[in-house]
Amino acid sequence: MVTLNIDRRPVDVPAGTTLLVAARRLGIAIPTLCFRDGLEHVTSCMLCVVEDVRTGCLHPACSTPVQDGMDIATASGTVLEARRTALELLLGDHLGDCEGPCARACAAGMNIPAMLRAIRDGDLREAIRVVKRHIALPAALGRICPAPCEKACRRGTHDAPVAICRLKRFVADADLASPDPYLPERLESSGFRVAVVGAGPAGLSAACALARDGHACTVFEKGDRPGGGLRAPELSDTLPSAVLNAEIAQIARLGMTFETGVEIGVTCSLHDLKQRFDAIILAWGASASSLLDPLGLESGPHGITANWRTHRTGDPVIFACGNAVVPGRLAVRAVAQGQAAALAVGQMLRGEAVVGTRHRYNHRLSAALTPDELAAFMTGTAPGPRTEPADHATGGYSTDEAPGEAARCLHCDCRKPEACQLRRYADDYGVNPRGWKPAHRRPVEIVRHGNTVYEPGKCIACGICVRIANAAREPLGLTFIGRGFTVRIGVPFHESLEKGLSQVAAACVEACPTGALAHDR
Amino acid sequence: MSTPNIQLADPVRAEDLDRILDETGRNSAAVIAVLQGIQARYRYLPEAALRYVCDHSEITPAAIVGVSTFYTQFRHTPAGRHTVSVCVGTACHVKGASGILAALRRHLKLADGADTDADRRFTLREVNCLGCCTLAPVVQVDSVIYGYATPETVGNILQDFLNRGGGQDSRGASSDPSPGPSVGDIRVGMGSCCVASGASEIEAALHDRVSALRLPVRIQRVGCLGLCYEEPVIEVAAHGRPSRLYTRVKPEDIPAILTAHFPPPSRWTRLRHAAGHWVEQLYTDAAWTGAHCAGMDARDPQIAPYLDPQVPIATEGCGQLDPLSLSDYCGAHGFEGFQAALRLRPEDVVRQIADSGLRGRGGGGYPTGRKWGEVAREVNDVKYVVCNGDEGDPGAFMDRMLLESFPYRIIEGMLIAGYAVGATQGVLYIRAEYPLAIRRVSAALDACRAAGWLGPHILGSDFSFELTIMTGAGAFVCGEETALIASIEGKRGMPRMRPPYPSQCGLHGRPTLVNNTETFALISWILRHGPAAFAAIGSARSRGTKVFALAGKVRRGGLIEVPMGMTIRRVIDDIGGGIADGRRLKAVQIGGPSGGCIPERLADTPIDYEALVEAGAMMGSGGLVALDDADCMVEIARFFLAFTQHESCGKCTFCRIGTTRMLDILERLCGGTGKPSDLDELERLASVVKRGSLCGLGKSAPNPVLTTLRYFREEYEAHAGGVCPAGQCKALISYQITDDCIGCTRCAQQCPVGAIPPTPYERHAINPETCVRCDGCRTACPAGAVVVMSGNRIVKHGYAKH
Repeated sequence: MVTLNIDRRPVDVPAGTTLLVAARRLGIAIPTLCFRDGLEHVTSCMLCVVEDVRTGCLHPACSTPVQDGMDIATASGTVLEARRTALELLLGDHLGDCEGPCARACAAGMNIPAMLRAIRDGDLREAIRVVKRHIALPAALGRICPAPCEKACRRGTHDAPVAICRLKRFVADADLASPDPYLPERLESSGFRVAVVGAGPAGLSAACALARDGHACTVFEKGDRPGGGLRAPELSDTLPSAVLNAEIAQIARLGMTFETGVEIGVTCSLHDLKQRFDAIILAWGASASSLLDPLGLESGPHGITANWRTHRTGDPVIFACGNAVVPGRLAVRAVAQGQAAALAVGQMLRGEAVVGTRHRYNHRLSAALTPDELAAFMTGTAPGPRTEPADHATGGYSTDEAPGEAARCLHCDCRKPEACQLRRYADDYGVNPRGWKPAHRRPVEIVRHGNTVYEPGKCIACGICVRIANAAREPLGLTFIGRGFTVRIGVPFHESLEKGLSQVAAACVEACPTGALAHDR
Repeated sequence: MSTPNIQLADPVRAEDLDRILDETGRNSAAVIAVLQGIQARYRYLPEAALRYVCDHSEITPAAIVGVSTFYTQFRHTPAGRHTVSVCVGTACHVKGASGILAALRRHLKLADGADTDADRRFTLREVNCLGCCTLAPVVQVDSVIYGYATPETVGNILQDFLNRGGGQDSRGASSDPSPGPSVGDIRVGMGSCCVASGASEIEAALHDRVSALRLPVRIQRVGCLGLCYEEPVIEVAAHGRPSRLYTRVKPEDIPAILTAHFPPPSRWTRLRHAAGHWVEQLYTDAAWTGAHCAGMDARDPQIAPYLDPQVPIATEGCGQLDPLSLSDYCGAHGFEGFQAALRLRPEDVVRQIADSGLRGRGGGGYPTGRKWGEVAREVNDVKYVVCNGDEGDPGAFMDRMLLESFPYRIIEGMLIAGYAVGATQGVLYIRAEYPLAIRRVSAALDACRAAGWLGPHILGSDFSFELTIMTGAGAFVCGEETALIASIEGKRGMPRMRPPYPSQCGLHGRPTLVNNTETFALISWILRHGPAAFAAIGSARSRGTKVFALAGKVRRGGLIEVPMGMTIRRVIDDIGGGIADGRRLKAVQIGGPSGGCIPERLADTPIDYEALVEAGAMMGSGGLVALDDADCMVEIARFFLAFTQHESCGKCTFCRIGTTRMLDILERLCGGTGKPSDLDELERLASVVKRGSLCGLGKSAPNPVLTTLRYFREEYEAHAGGVCPAGQCKALISYQITDDCIGCTRCAQQCPVGAIPPTPYERHAINPETCVRCDGCRTACPAGAVVVMSGNRIVKHGYAKH
């Protein structure tokens, strides 16, 4: 038996045990990408490095056998920096977006590609679920949003962007018209009470999110009915009252209280609200801020002073969002902020650190797609130009039309955004996506066969798939081709992926630590 | 001139492939030998041939594709009839290899991205390194080596090759000595450099003249003398008289040399010979001034400083022994070390090596005796001894010389090692780029087997030992011991994590001793003279001698063996004769791409493992390249990093991607798009690559960058500001013609791209858009009117002036 210290804790293990396994005995998880239990270590990714405190050397934990008296640090500053650099080097070379550029352009971060796939596949229930995760008022926004997402759409460089906005409207309308419109799950009642001041898009969105989070929510609206800026006369043609009413009614079914005709500062004061509620979200739009003085809240040239990420004001239980903070014309931005403020409120109420929305690491493919790359993405998508709804009167897609338009999506988002270990560790180590970018990137390639998709540009050359194919004695399998920086993995003799992975395709997809090997959707 | 319709490729035939497989065997470890056989037959690897091999052997498609794409020797597309290899090693690089490449591309009219001309006659490639550094720049066409190439002479080189119609060194072993007593010996150095300098022609001229005169003189081929800067060299030793050396010999010098030493036997022959010679001189311009060719001995001031400080141990007998003559070797104490070892117990042999203080000469400097002890202690009925002859450092050619000139000494060293550690099998792993070494070692092995030095029960003892040769396939990383072992096992040459060390688990999982060629070359002497004698030479931490390949801008370059601890300055000035062409020493690159640049002000650093590491460099395998003030240190760092980046096996993140990103930064700096923040980024990345890489290649790749940053930071800063102070980096310099122009049009005539319109009697001007910065005009201008500008100042003056 060998005795050593890991993070100043002693552990006894049999000789020949690796530092990785020894650390596991102590409940210390060391990150790995190229290591897989059951396969021999190859010492490739170097993510698992740990520091030998006595010598200052870095050792890859998956391949280093323990030695008596070793003193190992698994999370020293040197180790963290080395791991971050390894990740940045890997990502500097990485060709792909974690999330679609459309989703990143959307202020609310809606998972647009997922919605489009659901529409394409005729699964409207799934589509509305995806939409309502981030957008509380899709029927309204689907009629008035200027669609920044479409300007970012890569399909637009080929012929025209996918009609994302109208398709979202289609989903929302179909849901509202259905016998059993979608109601998201709500958490158990938290016992907390939150006041939302203003029933415009920001306030409604906040109320939605609070209700889903299990908090008792009361929305105060000075007008006679909820809607706020969405009721503006200039919008009445594009956004009919009936639609807005139906949408707000559906929101109300989440279980919130509306008090219309109540003007804070007149009917009751902010101070009163503070007594009755555990938290307040000010979403009252652009207006005079003399109401703030008694509470000592600051206001700037545009509106209430609030932290841009957490939406918290100087008062720890008062949050502000939407036009009340900075006037704007994008309803989707107000919707996004309402949800973000509600999230921060939830953190505060549960006693967690109030940090606002946690944005996951997102990698972006640099530079526009070349014609060849575009052609690679186009394979498997509908080739035709953008279709407009036949029904010009209402301007919405029919159930027959929508899937065809949704099928024009290039699906340039990653197929494994949740399973990807590279993304997970990029989150953990705070990686800068622009860390080590080359002057010119390699071309994106997409190799498809059957249900399996291989993108060499996302491969980190860990060789797990090669080893799995080899262990399964695949006649062709996969192999390393070339050497050094230009090494890549492929099927021998340029045979197809199907022939190469005749038995182990699923196993390789599951084991691949990035989005390089994935199943098609 | 029309060329015959050359077929793209011969059709693949099963009989050829079966023959190859019968020779190499059909197990998976034979894959590299199989691929070499196929490529030798078809000049590339046809896919049909590879598929056939997979169907008729244990080799899998994944293995054959993985291995054949890893090693640079292998081609997957048809090649031209002949291969033109331009050496881009360090010495050739500093002497202008890139200009040679560009000139060849122009001459062969190669399209962008193409490597073969339209007639499919010549395929052009870069090669690292041919090991003929003192003849830099070097071009090899098939197996014929041409030294001192210039952009203007590339056409002549190709024409000369086509005129020859055969190889350069096509003879076998030395011709038999003439029957009866001889009156003396003439020794001709026949290492690769010697041959490239024309030694074969000298040897042929000697044979012709000696047989014409019927002189009973023995003409002997010997290994490298180390006097590479004076090649071709012959040594004439008439019996009873001191021997004399002749340098830079030309075939027309031979008659006079012979007459001076060996008067023809009969008076009548002398008269006839003298008359013939007089008549010859009447009709030819063969006036022999003799000034450069006067016979000299080792005390002569022209070569004494070069030879005096040297202590030949690995190179003992240099210039005296026919490399392939077993009797020569045994006559010079050959195999006495082995016999001495057999009289000791194996553990005592190990102790002797340990006591000698010998450290691995491949660069790592690990105590050899300790390594032998580790292998000896392992209990296993199969152990291996491996000679690492994969000398890949550009600018290093010591091991090539040792293998070509002293093959028996290496074999003897391996025999002693085998006996000491308990191994009965060994492998000599030799680079593919050293064909002469492979031929010589192979012949030496045959001779040893025939004489009983190899095989079962050697000298009637219990010790049996057999050796085989494995040819490398073009991968510098295979110099790393675990990668070398993987290569012998028929895999991609990827290093493995250590521990376990090869001493415990090496070739085929068995205990394996891996030592460098030079290390083995020192063993016999230690056993003969005892460890104390070896330890008495050198310095306290670094005992014994080291062979260095001295090249670059020195006057006298070649192979030298000196005691450890000698200072760099002494090597450069005393032995190397200082810097040529009146320039100043700027830095010395030690240790090749793993090493570093020691600036001139630290030239009194002793050459010793630890002292060099403290200075930021590394002993490395022995390359010593002198750099003068015309060399750009940023460009040198870029050059070495480009090498290691290209040779990275690609396994670990820090080396594979880290060296590439470092190279990006250096190329930006040399290319004129660098910025000041690049320096800190480069340094940060360099230190993490050094710490985090898996093997020695990655761990040492940043060394040239780190040392040049440390000692020449101001040059980096200048580059970040768009200036190259040494006037080298093409993107940062421009060529201009000053008022000193006399209008002679020589520059315009010389310009290979027509960038200078000829304007007789008027000041000429260079078109900066067309100029390729080949430096041709500056060297051609008789008035010194062409200068190199960088950032609005002159960084290189006219050639005639300096």
